[in-house]
Amino acid sequence: MNIDITVKIGGEAGQGIQSVGQILSFVCQKAGLYVFGINDYESRIRGGHSFFQLRISDKPINAPNNVVNLLVSLDKRTYEIHKNELSINAISVIDSEDLHFNDGILSLPIMKEAIKAGGSQTANIVAAGACLSLLKTPFEFLEEAVHEIFGRKKEMLESNIAAAKIGFQMASSVQFNYAFKWDKNSSKGIIMEGSKAIALGALASDCRFAAFYPMSPATGIMTHLSSFASAYKIPLVVEQAEDELSAINMIIGASFAGVRSMTSTSGGGFCLMTEGLGLAAITETPIVIVNAQRPGPATGLPTRTAQADLLFVIRASQDEFPRFVFAPGTPKEAFDTIIKAFHLSEKYQVPSIVLSDHHFNSSMFLVEEPLNVPPTIERFLAKDEDLENINEYKRFLLTPDGVSKRALPCMGKALVVVSGNEHSEDGHVSEAAQNRINMVNKRNAKLVSMQKEISSPESYYGDSEILIIGWGATKPAIQESINILRKNGINVGSLHFKDLWPFPLEFSEKILKNSKKFFVAEENSTAQLGQLIKEQTGLSYSGAILKYDGRPFFPIEIVNKLTDFLKV
Amino acid sequence: MLNIKDYDNSYENKWCPGCGNFGILNAMKDAFVKLGKYPHEILIVSGIGQAAKTPHFMNCNMFHSLHGRALPIATGAKIANHNLMIIVSSGDGDCYGEGGNHFIHAIRRNIDITVLVHNNKVYGLTKGQASPTADIGVKTKSQPNGVISEPFNPLHIAISLEAGFVARGFSGNKEHLSILIQEGIKHKGFSLIDILQPCVSFNKMNTFNWYKKRVYEIDETSHDMFDYQKAIKLAKEWKDKIPIGILYKNNRASYTEQISSIKDVPLILQKRRIEKEIFL
Repeated sequence: MNIDITVKIGGEAGQGIQSVGQILSFVCQKAGLYVFGINDYESRIRGGHSFFQLRISDKPINAPNNVVNLLVSLDKRTYEIHKNELSINAISVIDSEDLHFNDGILSLPIMKEAIKAGGSQTANIVAAGACLSLLKTPFEFLEEAVHEIFGRKKEMLESNIAAAKIGFQMASSVQFNYAFKWDKNSSKGIIMEGSKAIALGALASDCRFAAFYPMSPATGIMTHLSSFASAYKIPLVVEQAEDELSAINMIIGASFAGVRSMTSTSGGGFCLMTEGLGLAAITETPIVIVNAQRPGPATGLPTRTAQADLLFVIRASQDEFPRFVFAPGTPKEAFDTIIKAFHLSEKYQVPSIVLSDHHFNSSMFLVEEPLNVPPTIERFLAKDEDLENINEYKRFLLTPDGVSKRALPCMGKALVVVSGNEHSEDGHVSEAAQNRINMVNKRNAKLVSMQKEISSPESYYGDSEILIIGWGATKPAIQESINILRKNGINVGSLHFKDLWPFPLEFSEKILKNSKKFFVAEENSTAQLGQLIKEQTGLSYSGAILKYDGRPFFPIEIVNKLTDFLKV
Repeated sequence: MLNIKDYDNSYENKWCPGCGNFGILNAMKDAFVKLGKYPHEILIVSGIGQAAKTPHFMNCNMFHSLHGRALPIATGAKIANHNLMIIVSSGDGDCYGEGGNHFIHAIRRNIDITVLVHNNKVYGLTKGQASPTADIGVKTKSQPNGVISEPFNPLHIAISLEAGFVARGFSGNKEHLSILIQEGIKHKGFSLIDILQPCVSFNKMNTFNWYKKRVYEIDETSHDMFDYQKAIKLAKEWKDKIPIGILYKNNRASYTEQISSIKDVPLILQKRRIEKEIFL
């Protein structure tokens, strides 16, 4: 088979669009198919326009498609907004008074039948039933999904099964060109949002304290962590702070006292945290910050996506100090990256920043690779017995590699003295000129070893004449665009940056110099990675494929833009 | 045998001669001796300002942080290890101005820390601007026509938020202040001790003698510390007579006592647990 279809369900916020997405994803996954779903919504609680777009394939996919094969409108506006995205032979399901089908529009009395089945709130399930019926899904697959999702609430279960059945029967006589044969295959992987992969990474890292101030699209990470903590009674405390300043300082305090700690926020919250970022740096306290990017200075577009904070986080906070910056591209990478971020933050006593974005955090991925929890966690902590003389213990002792032994307060007799002012080796404030130089050099000395921890950007057909360079969550879209371009006969590959700072200089130079031309593809307006590559390597990109409308890349957009560049 | 010299260190003290901070430093050391706490058993967290330098001038574990941020740092440290005895040393600008939001929310959380606020009603380190507690009419270089905003009343606010332990001390009465600090530390929950203190360099009105004439110790035999209304009344008493002592107490559960997964064993002392099914 060669299945690759996209189903889009749109309506007002509050109409249960995400539940439909959940049911469809679940049914497909149980049938051994691959799914990738995006959630698109406005910054409002009820009303407006939102949609869930699910791509279903028999091959692994992790990027959205721009063409819709089946459009379900739970309100009047959805069809008007999205009719231009429809493929040839697409079907649009709309709510009407009675059933009829012509010109690709299937009118179904969704609301009328939902009220009969158990109330207007089951309209979304009637629609889900119709969708799966058009795709020729066996009804028992749908029944199983409804059980899985509503099984705990008996009265809801009955009405939803009834609603599913009605929707399924209403559409059963309609022939749909994209219908396919369903196998009861064993299910592949697990379905999760990007934010869950990040939360699982934190859990696997033995993160014990997380503080945050709610901000889209970062909040999901913390709600996942909170639910793990409450369901499993694990040693993990999640605190909702009064503001971002408090959140970052709380995690610094907790880390200073000895537990692995993190926070998550978006760009605006990260702005407020930069003060604390500097404190973590000068006190050499390990912390992990996830910045789930969204567009805009100030409030911007709260529920949209962007990759425009790269240069900001690399330089954020006054003065100069070392830090790690990572940007994973898939859930598995995000899981592993969080583990790496915690590990390296403690090893070098520096802050680690992980960049994700709205698209990554709120999309539904099917994750097949196992998420491997490290069996042990190395803490790099010093106890009294590791110190030569506990009375002479100096938290900021000058060492050749810049890393000093880190003891914990009140866990031994050695006194731990730490200050956000420039301090001497003993942690007390010092304004002496030579001391200031020594301390800056001490912190910067870590960069030599930190650089060695940085992984090479990932090559995909990396020995090609032309390369498309990306970073973070655009990885699947770029890779899919490479597949299309190569089919079109273009000798093109990609290079994807996950570890961004310290900059992987040698690796990048080597790969980029081998290509004839390279282009950057980024969700910002100034080609930030392109600028960084130029600054670090002296190599200039030949063109930039930039998208900054707040929506994620479709692979075809990258294909078209690159093709245009090559024509010139 | 533990004695006051155990808290001395050789780091140069940078306060002005005659500063009210010295009385507070001595009272702290006295309180720690009386509680039998060794330097390595104490963590002092501070923000920015002269008060925030306090831990540098004594032997202890310390985290001298950012302006206004001592309370979040202390909160995080306490959640990580609630066995820690944490004292926050702050000033009126640090705790009530820059850190005002954190002050309110640390009280709401009832995190078990003891906050000593050196309240001299003026910004000393930035050379003499009005602080949130400065009285109406006080003239400074940056308020040449006099302060027009109502002074922040930390005790009134703390009591109205049901803080666990609310007291006022005076840096000129070391014995009394030492007892307040000891009681504040023993209290399981958020303890605020607002400490009246002259600034010899910038506050020409609220001098040592000005306070000496006005402060009086609350009669503990007749004052019911759990009486909210009476406490509010005491918090509002100012000008001719200024009460010092414990104004208010309540015994609501502290933050870490309410988290079932850590109330018995601090986070830091627990074994790592991997629940495999979460990762499936």
